[in-house]
Amino acid sequence: MALSHRNYAKVRVVAPVGRLDHDNCEAFRNDLAPHLDACLREGQALIFDLSGLEYVSSAGLRCLMLAARQAASRSGRLVIASLQPLVAEIFQISRFNLVFDVFPTMREALASVSSEAVEAFERG
Amino acid sequence: MRETLFDGYQRLMPRVRSSAPAVIVDIDERSLDTLGQWPWPRSVTADLVRAIARAGPAAIGVDVLFVEPDRSVAGADAALAQAVQGAKVVLGIAGIDYRDRRFPHPPHAAPVLSSGRRELPLQQFDGQLQSRPEIDRAAAGRGLISADSPDRILRRIPLVARIGKVIVPALAVEMIRIATGAQELRIDDQGGEHVDLNVGPASIPIQSDGTLNVYFGRHDAQRFVSAEDVLSGKAAAEFFRDKFVLVGVSGLGLLDFQATPLGERIPGVEVHAQILEQIFDGTYLRRPTGAAWTEAALLAGVGVLLVLFVPTVRPWISFALLAAALLALAAAGILAFMTGLLLNVTAPALAALAVFAALLGATFAEADRQRRLLREAQARVAGELEAARRIQMGLLPAPRTIFAGQTGFALDALLEPARMVGGDFYDCFMVDENRLFLVVGDVSGKGLPASLFMALSKSLLKSIALRGPGDPGSLLMRANAEICRDNAESFFVTAFAGLLDVRSGALAFCNAGHEPAIACRPGGVPERVEHSGGPPLCVLEGFEYPSGHRVLEAGEWLCVLSDGVTEAMNAAGEFYGAARLREVLKPLSSAAPDAVVAAVRADVREFTGTTEQSDDLTLLCVRWNGAAASGR
Repeated sequence: MALSHRNYAKVRVVAPVGRLDHDNCEAFRNDLAPHLDACLREGQALIFDLSGLEYVSSAGLRCLMLAARQAASRSGRLVIASLQPLVAEIFQISRFNLVFDVFPTMREALASVSSEAVEAFERG
Repeated sequence: MRETLFDGYQRLMPRVRSSAPAVIVDIDERSLDTLGQWPWPRSVTADLVRAIARAGPAAIGVDVLFVEPDRSVAGADAALAQAVQGAKVVLGIAGIDYRDRRFPHPPHAAPVLSSGRRELPLQQFDGQLQSRPEIDRAAAGRGLISADSPDRILRRIPLVARIGKVIVPALAVEMIRIATGAQELRIDDQGGEHVDLNVGPASIPIQSDGTLNVYFGRHDAQRFVSAEDVLSGKAAAEFFRDKFVLVGVSGLGLLDFQATPLGERIPGVEVHAQILEQIFDGTYLRRPTGAAWTEAALLAGVGVLLVLFVPTVRPWISFALLAAALLALAAAGILAFMTGLLLNVTAPALAALAVFAALLGATFAEADRQRRLLREAQARVAGELEAARRIQMGLLPAPRTIFAGQTGFALDALLEPARMVGGDFYDCFMVDENRLFLVVGDVSGKGLPASLFMALSKSLLKSIALRGPGDPGSLLMRANAEICRDNAESFFVTAFAGLLDVRSGALAFCNAGHEPAIACRPGGVPERVEHSGGPPLCVLEGFEYPSGHRVLEAGEWLCVLSDGVTEAMNAAGEFYGAARLREVLKPLSSAAPDAVVAAVRADVREFTGTTEQSDDLTLLCVRWNGAAASGR
């Protein structure tokens, strides 16, 4: 699974692509760790851009949950944006939308964390 | 093996002569052609000796025996004796293994003085063949001309040997004595293989058995002059002046040829010439006393080196090490040879190979043992997993058996783990006379870790359900608190729990992050049982799970399944999906639970084909038969 990242102002956005399941969630956690660390150190929110995520299994949800817990334990914030329909349905069924702040678009997600980030986003 | 190695050294580096002390008067094919067949009348031989003697040689060695009287020409023996007399002639003697009646006494030989205390293990002959007394008496000296069997490669020549009790020198040695006018030979025995044979000014290193390791040069026609040319006066006198002149026969049919380590067959007389050259050039091959010890030390050194390093380094390095050791041994052997020492490096080399093979074998054996241990460990784990599977399957109730007497409802369930064991579970039991509890759960993840958590979750849910009559929502709240108390791995569990009053068909339920259940009335269309529910257990602490309510119609069934159904994947990576599930369930509105379970299972199997099952698959279906059927 590829894990690209980009910044809007100081807000870091990571974008897992493909499938997140039992087979690759450990690798995903390893890839994610430095981003999460950086955000928590800088006191910035981390946004998951899931527009490229096709599927997430229960093991994958556990990975996301662990990241959220780690963020919460250090007063960090983790936000999720741009779910594909299937993933949105999985979030709906599993009620993980109660665990995360889930926004339909990247703009809304950025707006929820930082106005500077939205401006950076709109400048393109 | 050792001889082959020493032969190899000689082939690699044949002796190059720097002086030419000896010439050979060769009774060759041409001489025989001109002067008639061998043996010649001794008067002709006498002419030959006289012709050589006139040129003033240092000594004349005759590599020929005149055993029988010459009956061809009267007075020929006397003529030869006369020619030999005073001409510094050394006649040949052949040592033999018996005492010949014609020569009952040991030969006359110059005295040999030995400095050592021991009696050297010289080659021993019982008797000899030599020239008849009339000629022998005229000679200045006598020397051994016997060599080993001509079939064998000639490597060592005795420079002194015993005939009876008399020590006799070789032809070449006796020629030097005569040439230098020395009275005796002296053997300087310093023990071991450190023995020198001194004659006149020459000091020749010999082995303790009196032999010289002959260091052969190539056959060289320059050493030869035809006997015919000597007799006809064509050969210049200069050719013989102050030289050691050997007289011998090489004509075909006379067959005095010796095989040398260089792979040549040279006339026997040329061996004497080569020995003389060696003595004059001082090029010797010694096999010193310490040679065997040196070889043993090399063997031990190479062995220790290999034993120390081969097991600890990578295979290609150990091969390189072996090659280096062998090369070093070969170089040592060649260097030693160049300084005139015969060192046998084959034993250390063979030992190196043997040690290496043994170490390699041991390494392979160790690898084999590791593989076997691994196989055993795998078998043990597989056995334990199989046991775990039996235990896990044993935890699941068999609904058809436990509810056999129930008329108010029918229930069937199925669980197929993706691996040997899994994280899905279901349970169903009567909490009291009238109420049926049912639950389907799914631990995040699969395999052994999930299965342990599954066992824990299922047991806790059952004990909570039996303890309190509470509704499913509060039941899951308590389970959420209890299951998550010791959850080091942060697993979570989705669950659908339901409590069915079998008298009224009233169903209370709660969905904690699980697939929605599907309900279907007889003749109706399957529909999702929507419910706000909550997240899976162990995700949000203290979450207040609400209960949902539905009253089942008589004959209506409720089907709860795990995501192993909807997210079953085929070879193309597509999901089975909720839509296909609805299509399968559509014609089954009036079917019994076992038929519903079987139909869904069959359709999922058809969809996935041969693709490996990706997740645990669980189905539970319950049908309420109606108030009348319940009989209460």
